[in-house]
Amino acid sequence: MQARLNWSFAEMCERAQSVDEVQEIFMREVRRLGFSYAACASHVDPLNPPEGAVMMLDYPRPWVEHFSNEGLAARDPIFFTARIQALPFRWSDKKFRRRLAPDQIAILNAAAEAGLRDGFTIPIHAPNALPASCSLVIGPDDIDPLSPGQAHWYAVYAHETVRRLLLKLAVTRPRLLTKRERQCIELIARGKGDFEIGVILGISQHTVHNTVRRIMRKYGVVSRIQMFARALRDREILIEDVAD
Amino acid sequence: MIHIVTAENRHLFRHALMEMHVQRKRVFIDELGWRLNDEMGIEIDSYDAEDVVYLIEADDARAAVTASARLLPTVRPHLLNEVFSCLCEEPPPSGPRVWEATRFCPAPGTPRGPARHELLLRMIGAIMETGLLFGIERITYVASAALAPLAEGAGWSVAPLGAEKRVGREKLRAYVADIDSSGLKRVREALGATAPLTRFTPGALARAA
Repeated sequence: MQARLNWSFAEMCERAQSVDEVQEIFMREVRRLGFSYAACASHVDPLNPPEGAVMMLDYPRPWVEHFSNEGLAARDPIFFTARIQALPFRWSDKKFRRRLAPDQIAILNAAAEAGLRDGFTIPIHAPNALPASCSLVIGPDDIDPLSPGQAHWYAVYAHETVRRLLLKLAVTRPRLLTKRERQCIELIARGKGDFEIGVILGISQHTVHNTVRRIMRKYGVVSRIQMFARALRDREILIEDVAD
Repeated sequence: MIHIVTAENRHLFRHALMEMHVQRKRVFIDELGWRLNDEMGIEIDSYDAEDVVYLIEADDARAAVTASARLLPTVRPHLLNEVFSCLCEEPPPSGPRVWEATRFCPAPGTPRGPARHELLLRMIGAIMETGLLFGIERITYVASAALAPLAEGAGWSVAPLGAEKRVGREKLRAYVADIDSSGLKRVREALGATAPLTRFTPGALARAA
């Protein structure tokens, strides 16, 4: 698409010192494109976001409260679709609506009643980030057909800028596991038993067993599957390291 | 009324432009099966840009779109020199006074036959009026075997740029047409039109009003 890219947007984001500043720039620019509401955010409860969540939100307040109170983040069809595809989708698109459950259609209808009638969503998949997306509501004067491309770029850029700012602000937590402990989890995830792991790492089967017990104690979990899930969530190991 | 939509006034025609892209998807992809990219229910390609001229037939900026067409400058990449160069025996005419007409799109559901032919004739008249307005002397276009005779007989002077060729499921041929007032007069006579077919709404003026 030959829409002229607004490079000043990138410069403004680079210069921004705070999350609020990025949000302000982002909201101003998407409004200029003809969008009436925007949410560029992690897929979490908007009123109780966990640490590290991106939350650039400018939706009607009653809807945000309803969404939070009813715990809709768990069933939101937009979150659901954004997690399994990379390309933007329009809410009115039949391809998008076809695979939804009745209660998810009900969420869309309720959102429409709240003023979020027609729009589209840009899925955002960033490494080491919570699942996220940017939803944009088309305003009464409609949008230019070239605007979605521009908005896509804004959304991905603003999301990444906020994430970097949040990382800078976050207290850096030391890694919980040692290198040896991570190696054991990786090999377990590759289907190895304690004896094989011992041979691979050049330690005794007994030491492997004790190492695994130690990790489970650190995590407060009771099974190897639970332990693997935790290590994955905490990004002590990456799925790419154990599945190929 | 056929609206001339340019970079200057396109912000007044967001709705009509969106409608045009939706119709292009339904006509070219769903009905004709062209292998084009569709994103979010609209057909839009790398030649669509802010500074391209669109002709959109609609009663007003928010009314139903009944037809549309796209006029590309030939001083940069366009279809004839990139996608359809095989249809030209020699390099196609290009330059600041040559435009390429593409994506003639009657609204989905336009009945075949006379209604569609008249729509094409009106669009050709509109292309000529717009060309004269912008100082364009020639228009190149690619037509299918079905459309070509109608376009050729519209009243403008037309010459083929090469032989007819089969491309995919269609037989296509490239043409160049002259834009001049005598040609426009003939097209208008064929239509029985006494007033201009096009209207240009200035962007800045409408904003001030």
